[in-house]
Amino acid sequence: MSEIIVPTDLWDDDSLGVISTWLFEDGDAVSQGDIVAEVMNEKISFDIAAPASGTLAIDVPTESEVSQGDAIGRILSA
Amino acid sequence: MSKIESNRSHRLWMYRNMVKSRAFEDAVKSAYFEGKQPLFNMANGPIPGEMHLSNGQEPCAVGVCAHLRVDDTVTATHRPHHIAIAKGVDLNRMAAEIFGKESGLSGGRGGHMHLFDPNVNFTCSGIIGQGLGPAVGAALAARMKGSDAIAVAFLGEGAVNQGAFHEALNLAAVWKAPVVFVIEDNAYGISVAKRQATAVERNADRAVGYRMPGVFVPGNDPDAIYEAAGEAIAHARRGDGPSLLELETTRLEGHFIGDAEGYRPKGEVAALRKDDPIPRFRTLLEQDGVTASELERIEKEADAAVDAAFDFARASSLPPGEAAFAHVFFEGNRSWPTRP
Amino acid sequence: MADKTVTSTRKLTIAKSMAEAISQEMGRDESVLVMGEDIAKLGGVFGNTGGLLDAYGPERVRDTPISETGFIGAAVGMAAAGMRPIVELMFVDFFGVCMDAIYNLAAKQSYFSGGRVACPMVLMTSVGGGYGDAGQHSQCLYATFAHLPGMKVVIPSNAYDAKGLMLAAIRDPNPVIFMYHKALQGMGWLGTVPGSIVPVPQEDYEVPIGAARVVREGSDVSLVGLGATLHHCLDAAASADNDGISAEVIDLRTIAPLDRATVIASARKTGRLIAVDDDYMTCGVAGEVIASVCESGTKLKAPPIRIAHPDIPIPFSPAMEHFVLPNQDKVKAAIKSVMEAAR
Repeated sequence: MSEIIVPTDLWDDDSLGVISTWLFEDGDAVSQGDIVAEVMNEKISFDIAAPASGTLAIDVPTESEVSQGDAIGRILSA
Repeated sequence: MSKIESNRSHRLWMYRNMVKSRAFEDAVKSAYFEGKQPLFNMANGPIPGEMHLSNGQEPCAVGVCAHLRVDDTVTATHRPHHIAIAKGVDLNRMAAEIFGKESGLSGGRGGHMHLFDPNVNFTCSGIIGQGLGPAVGAALAARMKGSDAIAVAFLGEGAVNQGAFHEALNLAAVWKAPVVFVIEDNAYGISVAKRQATAVERNADRAVGYRMPGVFVPGNDPDAIYEAAGEAIAHARRGDGPSLLELETTRLEGHFIGDAEGYRPKGEVAALRKDDPIPRFRTLLEQDGVTASELERIEKEADAAVDAAFDFARASSLPPGEAAFAHVFFEGNRSWPTRP
Repeated sequence: MADKTVTSTRKLTIAKSMAEAISQEMGRDESVLVMGEDIAKLGGVFGNTGGLLDAYGPERVRDTPISETGFIGAAVGMAAAGMRPIVELMFVDFFGVCMDAIYNLAAKQSYFSGGRVACPMVLMTSVGGGYGDAGQHSQCLYATFAHLPGMKVVIPSNAYDAKGLMLAAIRDPNPVIFMYHKALQGMGWLGTVPGSIVPVPQEDYEVPIGAARVVREGSDVSLVGLGATLHHCLDAAASADNDGISAEVIDLRTIAPLDRATVIASARKTGRLIAVDDDYMTCGVAGEVIASVCESGTKLKAPPIRIAHPDIPIPFSPAMEHFVLPNQDKVKAAIKSVMEAAR
């Protein structure tokens, strides 16, 4: 199982971001590197990639606020 | 066409094209008035609509186009005939287009202000200043394709006050596009004298605001224009970017045929006609040793070419009304232009 | 959706699907280039050119000065020279400063050349409001562009259509105005409409220009929408289901040339017609849809209804803006009205 973490080097301060979009459904098969979500800080969107291949589990829904370093989902091994 | 071997051959080329151009314009004027007398109604006759003749401005066309290749692009204005002829546009099809015939350059769909000849990369358009952007694009396209072809945009002195002028010159400089902007300054934008409309005396001075060379050429002299244009075109072709040329010229006819020109000072046109650039150049050629018989031969050939073009145009049929619906959208190969 | 077999069910926003289409075609065809304000380094104010500068470099992906007449005119000249420029007009509302190059040059290049010189140019432009950007940054102007001859006009309602229409647009030798609705881009800061974020195949495919799509079949009433209003129609149709009303929903997808046949066939089937358009009402697309159905002699069971933005500048205050914009409640009310009306 791998965690999907919001990277810590996306924006400069410790302001919050918002999950604007999940690009897959909970339970979908994803490949490592697929862009699975978009997180927005100010007006800039950042792509969040799947760290591994497997089944997506969404833990934090769209429109939730997140900090850099937060886990927002998991990839379950196939 | 532009293989300039000796001083003389390019001057003869220029004379030939000026004479042909003038003969063409005079023939257009004559045909234009058919059906419009005694009552001048623009809609009547074999050539309806507006007509903008280039009499007096021939030096601008030949001095510049003498340096151009077939693959160089020229965009021109609502007063295009002299430039089209100098660029090598098909004379028969151009005449037919002006007469609205099916055999015209676009089958009669464009008319005198919208002449397209892709064989020699010539287009013109009726909206002031709007040919400048496309010339910048054509120049950029040539460079992106690895060609040393260039583009030339002709404009009147009134057009420098359009936003498009500033945008296109700035863009050309920023992109270092191989384009030459040529102002034909005939002193009038329809009825408004240049002094009334333009804040500066010399439009060539504006060039410094766009980081490009700006050259003013007085006197409506084909030789002087040839020299200045040669430098600007070479500058572009070797990759040094755009230039602005300002050519002093004369408009011997009205803005459009039917223009009573009441706004011109008494005697101005008569005086200009006395200094018609074509007889003046003829005299220079004679002084340079060109024989009378050679000059007459050139003039006869020019008349013959114009006669042939007008015969072709008059003999051609008008398109059927339904032809209006063709070519609204491009109907050819989807991967136009077909690539090898 | 005409799904191909896809190895993953990855979804894209419209913004990303536009960028993917452009990128894939730039990889296939060297003559394709992109230019506009903020499209290179920033990847587009609305996210539709992300990644292109890194992939293809500054010769083919150009940030321009604020010179719409200049660079759109340049695009016309490049198209005449056989390149395939994609140029962005950041907000359709800005057409006032550059319309000549669009409707007098690009749109008439084939005609004025007698079919000898094409204009294979795509003009992509953002449309639509609903987020308080007021009267000069919220317009749709579908009718303004659709009205003028010589150009095609498309507007996708979802990412699948967006990619397919963009590929079709780039390959079309005619000028195509590719309108993308700001509410549907998936930009987050403009709000998100989940229905626009859908699975998009990785591989090459086209959505034909000039073809509307029946996205929901029904038998009682035909709802015709485009862009954002398509989603209002779908939402209203789902709600109408609960009342036992079967609504058919059509996504126009192309505004010009309009697919009248699909709309007429639907109206013939259901006998009731509601056209929903967030552009100004008078002389608009909704009116054109209704006129086309009426001309066809289709017998309707009730007078047709058009829901459109009124003929007023788009107000700033949300209290007013949302009062005047089409929305699913207005469509629901129209459905009720059309079901109850007798001819």
